[in-house]
Amino acid sequence: MLRRTQLGYLARESVAGFRRRKLTTGVTILIMSASLLVLALFVLVTLNLGMTLERTRENVDVRVFLVGGLDAERLAGLQPPFLAIPGVREARFIGQDQALAEMRAMLGEDADVLEVLDENPLPASYHLELSRGHRSPEAVAAIASELRRWPEVDDVVYSQAWVGALESWARIFRWSSLVVSLIVFGAAVFVISNTVRLTMASSRRVIEIQMLVGATNGFIRTPFLVEGILHGLLAGGLAMGLLAAGHRVLSVRLDGLAFFTPVQVGGFVAFAVVLGLLGSLAAVSQYLRLRRVV
Amino acid sequence: MADDPRSRGPLDPRTIIAFYHVNLRYRDQTALADVSFTVDNGEFVCLTGPSGAGKSSVLRLITMDLFPTKGQVVVRGMVSTRMKRGRIPMLRREIGFVFQDFRLLEDRSVYDNVAFAQLVVGVPGADIKKNVMRVLTQVGLWNKRDRLPHQLSGGEQQRVAIARAMVNSPKILLADEPTGNLDPVTAQEIIDLLFRINDGGTCVIFSTHDHEIVKTFGQRVMVFRDGRLASDVERRVPERDRAPRLSDHMYRPGEEPATPHREGGHA
Repeated sequence: MLRRTQLGYLARESVAGFRRRKLTTGVTILIMSASLLVLALFVLVTLNLGMTLERTRENVDVRVFLVGGLDAERLAGLQPPFLAIPGVREARFIGQDQALAEMRAMLGEDADVLEVLDENPLPASYHLELSRGHRSPEAVAAIASELRRWPEVDDVVYSQAWVGALESWARIFRWSSLVVSLIVFGAAVFVISNTVRLTMASSRRVIEIQMLVGATNGFIRTPFLVEGILHGLLAGGLAMGLLAAGHRVLSVRLDGLAFFTPVQVGGFVAFAVVLGLLGSLAAVSQYLRLRRVV
Repeated sequence: MADDPRSRGPLDPRTIIAFYHVNLRYRDQTALADVSFTVDNGEFVCLTGPSGAGKSSVLRLITMDLFPTKGQVVVRGMVSTRMKRGRIPMLRREIGFVFQDFRLLEDRSVYDNVAFAQLVVGVPGADIKKNVMRVLTQVGLWNKRDRLPHQLSGGEQQRVAIARAMVNSPKILLADEPTGNLDPVTAQEIIDLLFRINDGGTCVIFSTHDHEIVKTFGQRVMVFRDGRLASDVERRVPERDRAPRLSDHMYRPGEEPATPHREGGHA
């Protein structure tokens, strides 16, 4: 068990590196928070892309345009076969007149252009809504190609092309986040272990005497590990602070830009702390292994 | 000579240090070759020989800072070949170590330098003060306890180092060329201090290549040459040739004053 005198000593020694080398400490924390910031940025973009993707998928909307010349009975009779297709949750009929009315509403003041038409050129169509499990690009494409074979169907249009593009972007960002986090991981551990190594080198005599008089390795190690943890904590906090400020500025222009939840912020700072701990652990164990007393 | 510490086994209760056919290769060089000896509890031993002969290696093997390439070192019943890393600090708490270059913490006072050795092994605050006062008084530096090391003479700095080595009440005090940086008079003072510490029951082993010290040293002298123990003799220096020691004037129970060899009475 540690005694009060020892705890006081450990607390003082833990911040000794900060006191003695303010510049090195500052630069270390800046480099580390910059790399963490890059990582957080990638994660945040991935997160936002994912949410946009989710919203787009919610609105998957397959429009089935029908060939002309079908009578009202045939048109109405198509609904049951549509609903029989696996994954189709709802099939809403839009007649030629309704399509024109929608077009007119969409054009607003420019609706006059429609007056030149002799007859309604818009085909009747069905809007299909798909159930959750059938919204992937592959599933939608399969449904569409099946529908195209029906004699009543002229064309099938869906927003899935969009979803495919979004999805490949999200995939790219997900993978890049992984790569970037590996690079950040290496960089942060490297700069921290170097800084802690500096602290240890300047505490060489103290470490030597501690080993000589029989201090345990755990006791000798503690202040340096705490130093690494503090580095991680400060760098993680700084990165999150900068990112939050940037998000606040950007979200004035971009609506619905998501930020990390408090739990995610906590997780990110914890990740930075773990990096700090690993960095100092690397420095300390290497140093103590090589160190001879006499 | 049944009572000769040089011929005892490691199981003898009087034995505190035992080397058994110790070989040590260090950076591709043979530092020690087939070295065997035992040291009794409370003995005072001088290691001598030219630089690089293996004196420091012997001391480093005793602190288990190095381990033999072959053979075995036993210190206070702890066997080098069966020593776990985590146990080494416990061994070190029973050994004091003094260097030629003092190795004090330059930014701390005399008091703090000595107290440091107690602090890091977890001695309660109240005891630290008592113990530091005891050892600093013993080495005659209590009145200079607030000085920084650079404000002291070399001899005084070495006395601080000795106080630091002694504050945890070790059973063994190792001194590697403790007089190497000191003038002859100061050197003799340090040797004298080591004798006084030995009188308190602590086994003292010190190394030196100073012939003057060895000549006037009336104790067991081990001579190392090229990594081998070349000779191990109990020197009987005639009283008139021996340097005077403060311990000559101190009363030791059950013994004639100034008897160079003490029987193993501190088991």
